[in-house]
Order: sequence, then C-alpha cells, then structure tokens
Amino acid sequence: MSIITRSPFLFRINTGSCNGCDVELATTAMIPRYDVERLGCRYTGSPKHADILLVTGPITARSKPYLIEVLDELPRPFVVVAIGTCPTSCGIFRDSYSIEGPLDKYVEVDVNVPGCPPRPQAIIDGVAKALEIWKRKIRDFK
Amino acid sequence: MSGFLKIAIRNLLKGPTTDPYPFGDTFIPQKLRGKLKVDASECTACRTCEEVCPSGAIKITKNEGAYVHTTWYNTCCFCGNCEFFCPTGAIKLTTDFHTAHFQDEKYSFVTVAVIKETECKNCKTKFVPPSEALLKRAYNGIDIDLDELKLYCPECRKKIAFERLHLWLRH
Repeated sequence: MSIITRSPFLFRINTGSCNGCDVELATTAMIPRYDVERLGCRYTGSPKHADILLVTGPITARSKPYLIEVLDELPRPFVVVAIGTCPTSCGIFRDSYSIEGPLDKYVEVDVNVPGCPPRPQAIIDGVAKALEIWKRKIRDFK
Repeated sequence: MSGFLKIAIRNLLKGPTTDPYPFGDTFIPQKLRGKLKVDASECTACRTCEEVCPSGAIKITKNEGAYVHTTWYNTCCFCGNCEFFCPTGAIKLTTDFHTAHFQDEKYSFVTVAVIKETECKNCKTKFVPPSEALLKRAYNGIDIDLDELKLYCPECRKKIAFERLHLWLRH
C-alpha cells in the first residue's frame, strides 16, 4: 500500500487548451529545473494506468466526448486536478457557444490551479496537494 | 566526450540545477503578474477595472456605507489591464503566484477590499473620498490645500473651485 501511495501515475488531457498550460506542464515534467518526478509521480500515456488526471483547457464541444471517454477508463479512485483558469471556470471563454465547461460539471474536481498559464511552481504546488488527497483516498478506498 | 566531461565537472562544482521549490526557496521574476493588491485608501470605486477586465473577475458591489471590491482568481487571467487602466494607481499586481487550492475553497479564493464612504463637511451627503493621487492630477500646478479638499463631496468641491476662480478673476 505504501508503495502505491508513493508513486502515482499522472495522465494529462488537453480539452481545447491554447497550449499555454500544456507548455508549462511539459516544463514542469521534462526539464530538470522543475522536476515534478521528485514528488514520486510519473507521466503515463494511458488513462488506464493513471491515478491523477491533469486537465487543461475549457471543455470545448469537440473535446467533450474524449474527456468522458478518459473519465470512464480511469481506475477508481482517482484525483482530478484542473490546471489553468479555463477548466476551473472557463475564464475569458465563459458563455461561449462552443464551450461546455467548466470541468466540475462532469467530474468531482479535487484541486484547482488557476493562472493563465500557472507558473511551474504553482503546478508543482497543485500536484503536491493532489498527492495528499490521493493518499487519503487510497487509504479510505475499500 | 570532452563536452560531456565539461558538463560533468561543471555540475560537480555548481551542484544540481533543479529548483528546490516545494522543499526550499524559489526565484521570482520582478515583472511577474501574480495576485492583485488593492489599496482601499487609494481606490475611489470608479469601476474602470471592472469595465476593462476581459474575464469579468472583478466586481464592485455597493453595501451599506461602503463599496466592496472583489477579485475572483478562478476566472482572472492575470493580464494586468486593471493595473494599467487604474486612474489612481490603487491596484498593483504582486509577484505572489501561489494559486493552487482545494475545491472547497473554489468560490472563496478572492481578495476583498472595502472602500468606506465618508460624510461631506458641508452638505452631509455620503461620498467616496478622492485619493491624493487623483486630486494631484486634477489640481495640477494649482496652489490649494488637498487635505482640505478631500473633506468635500464632488458638488461642494465644484463650488469651492468656482469660488476660487471667481476670486482670481476679480484680482
């Protein structure tokens, strides 16, 4: 159990983001300066392995079915982190005809990291908070 | 091979390049646009920031005897328009980037500034006192006591200004 809580897998989905948050996420994950893997988490390519879901972008009408598909494939329990202003409240795109967000319409969000885009340090903060929730969830999960 | 050796020796001497952020201090650029800081004594509740905010994050509401300036960070896009257009310089963007929060704080993740109204010395109507910076801009190059002017409402201030002009013309 302790090994599971120490090394959760991250999965990232872009639901119509402008790529700003994705670049910051890539920075957080890949370059050694803000190494998010120090916290024990690793990126995975498949939602079936994921424990923490990172969502960027307001939920556009085009990307909504893909988000629902990913949410179905995630193993229970999972933690959802909204990266950027868009998934938390749709930001400047609010009330647009092609936006079906925000994210908490579809799934119970645990951590929000607003910012346009958030700083890599803020994303690390969010992932650290998500890890706390993940530990609690896996302990309570029976 | 020599390139690799150079990097290896440099890394040995200089230590790791990783920013020790969640466990240690981090660096912040001076021009980073982070959370807002609203100076309630400078703000005159003119609603310019509410008008220019592209995402509608700023709301100014009227309460009993005060205006409440609220900024909701979950829709703020940190563009800095409010700071740029603020006529009195009451809004400043700080370098505070700590925005991650749990879902139960989603609607309470705001900064609030309360702008209190005062009573006019002459006619006893309630009004928001003008800030020093605004008065300095309006009465630029005119020899007049600004602290005295702050006590009067816009109507009475207009009257005083007209009387002064009248006196000046008679001289």
